[in-house]
Amino acid sequence: MALVIIAVIVVGTIAFALTSVRRLKMDPHEFIVGSRSFGALLLWILLAGEIYTSFTFLGAAGWAYGKGAAAFYILAYGTVAYCIGFFLLPPIWRIGKERGLLTLPDFFIDRYGSKTLGIAVAVLQFFLVIPYVTLQLTGLQILLTIAGYGRYDATIAVSIAFILMALFVFTAGLRGTAWASVVKDTLVLGAVLFAGIAIPARFFGSPAAMVGHVLQLHPHWMTLPPPGATNAAYTVPWFVTTILLSGVGFFMGPANAPAIYSARSGETLRRNMIFMPLYQLVLLFVFFAGFTALAVVPGLKGPAADQSFMLVMQRYYSAPALGLVAGAGCLAALLPASTLLLGAASVFSKNVLGDALNVATGDRERTWATRLLVLIVAFLALVLWIFFKTSLVDLLLFYYVGITQLAPGVIFALVWPRVGPWAVGAGLLAGECVGFYSLHNTIAPGGINAGFFALVVNVAICALVTIATKKKLAVV
Amino acid sequence: MTPAARWSRIVLAAIPPVMLTLAIPFVNRDEPRLLGFPFLLAWMVLWVAVTPLFLFAADRIGRKQ
Repeated sequence: MALVIIAVIVVGTIAFALTSVRRLKMDPHEFIVGSRSFGALLLWILLAGEIYTSFTFLGAAGWAYGKGAAAFYILAYGTVAYCIGFFLLPPIWRIGKERGLLTLPDFFIDRYGSKTLGIAVAVLQFFLVIPYVTLQLTGLQILLTIAGYGRYDATIAVSIAFILMALFVFTAGLRGTAWASVVKDTLVLGAVLFAGIAIPARFFGSPAAMVGHVLQLHPHWMTLPPPGATNAAYTVPWFVTTILLSGVGFFMGPANAPAIYSARSGETLRRNMIFMPLYQLVLLFVFFAGFTALAVVPGLKGPAADQSFMLVMQRYYSAPALGLVAGAGCLAALLPASTLLLGAASVFSKNVLGDALNVATGDRERTWATRLLVLIVAFLALVLWIFFKTSLVDLLLFYYVGITQLAPGVIFALVWPRVGPWAVGAGLLAGECVGFYSLHNTIAPGGINAGFFALVVNVAICALVTIATKKKLAVV
Repeated sequence: MTPAARWSRIVLAAIPPVMLTLAIPFVNRDEPRLLGFPFLLAWMVLWVAVTPLFLFAADRIGRKQ
C-alpha cells in the first residue's frame, strides 16, 4: 500500500515534469543551463530544490537522533553560503554570460587561461559527486525498505532506487527538474511539518515538551562538548569550522554553476540569496522529528540512525500516511540526484571529452555521451554504497572536504587579479592531498574539521606562490 | 560605489555568518530557554530567520549608489 503511493507520487511527478518541457527543443544549451532564461521564481525553485534532499529529510534527523547538537551545523552552513553568494554569484553570472560559459571548469579555463586547470577541476567535480549521489541512493533505499515493511531487502530496494534515478534523469532536463521541484517541495514541506510538529505532539503534547523530555533522558544533547573534551568528536571548534567549510564550498559542485548560469540576470540571483535563508528554517522541524524518534524508538546505532523518524512513521502511523511521507522523501532524493548526475555528466562530456580529448563534439554525440556518463556516475555511486556503509551526513562531509578546495580559485579570480593558474593549481593539489589524507581521521588537531585545515593549506600555498612568482595574470 | 558603502554592505552581510560561527562558543548552553527551546538552538534559528533583513539592507545600500 505504502509502496503503491510512492509509485503514484514518483510517476506523477515525472509526468508533470515531462508536460512542462515537451515544447522545448533539447540542445545542450537548453539541457545544461536552461538557455539562461530562468526568472526569479523558477530559479528560486531550482536553487531551493537543492536544499530539500535526502540529506535534509533523513540525514539531518539522523544526526539529531545520533549526535544531538552537532546536527545544528546543518541549519547554519546554508545561511553562511547565501551571505557569501550574495556577493559572489552576480559577478560569476556576468562573466558566464559575457564569455558564454556553461560549467565551473569553463570559468577556470576562462579566468586562468589554462585548459589543464579546467580539466583538473572537471575531473574533481565528476568524481567528488559520487558520494553525494550515494547519499541520495542510500536515502531512497532506506525509504523503500521501510515503506515495504521489511519484505524486500536492501539490495532489491537499492536496485529499484538506481533504476528510478536513471529514469528520472533521462526523462527531464534541468528545466523539467526545476518544475518537478515545485511538486517535490510542496510534498516535502508538508511531510516535514507533519514529522516535526504532529509526531512530537502525538507523543509529548508539543515540540517544546518533547525537547524537555529528550533533555531529561540525555542532559547534554542540545549543547556542544567544549573544546578539548575527552571522547567527544564534535566539539565547538569542529562545529564552527564545519559550518565555514560547507558554507564556502556550497556553490562549487558540478550542478551549481549550471544553476547559476540558468539565471536571467545577476539581480535575479542576488534577490534569491536574500530570501533563501528562510527556506532553511524548515530544518528545525527535521531536528524535532529526529529528537522525537530518539525518545520513541531508541537504540539505533551508527548509520541506522538515518531511519529514525521513518521508523516512527512505520510503527505508529497508517500505511497511506507512511506512503505519503516516504513518497515525498523519494522525490527529495530523486530530484537532487538528477541535477547532480546531469551536472557531473555535462561537466565531464564538455570539459574532458570535448575540450581535452576532442571526442563527442556534435550535439547528438554529446547527448549520448552525457547519458552514458550519467549511468557511469550512478553505477559508481552504487559501488560506493556497497563498500562504504556510513551515515548520510558523513557522505556529505566527505564531499565537502574535496569540493570546497575549488573555492579559493573561484574567489581569487574575482578579488585578486594577480593570482595565476600555477598558484591556484598548487593550492588545489595541496588542499586535495591534505583532504584525502585526512579521510581516515576527519578531525584535525585542535578538534577542527580536517577539510577546513586542508582549505587553509590550500589558500596559504596559493597566496605564497602568487607572492613568490609576481607574475601577472592577463585580465580579460 | 563609494568605499564606505562597499564596506557597510560587507559588514552587514557578515554579521549573520559571524553570529552563526564565531559567536557559538558564547551561546553554547541550554539556559535561558526561549519558548521552551534550548538557547543554542533558539539562537541559531533566530539568526537564520533575520539574515534576509541584513542582506536586504545590504542590497538597498547597493541600489542607492
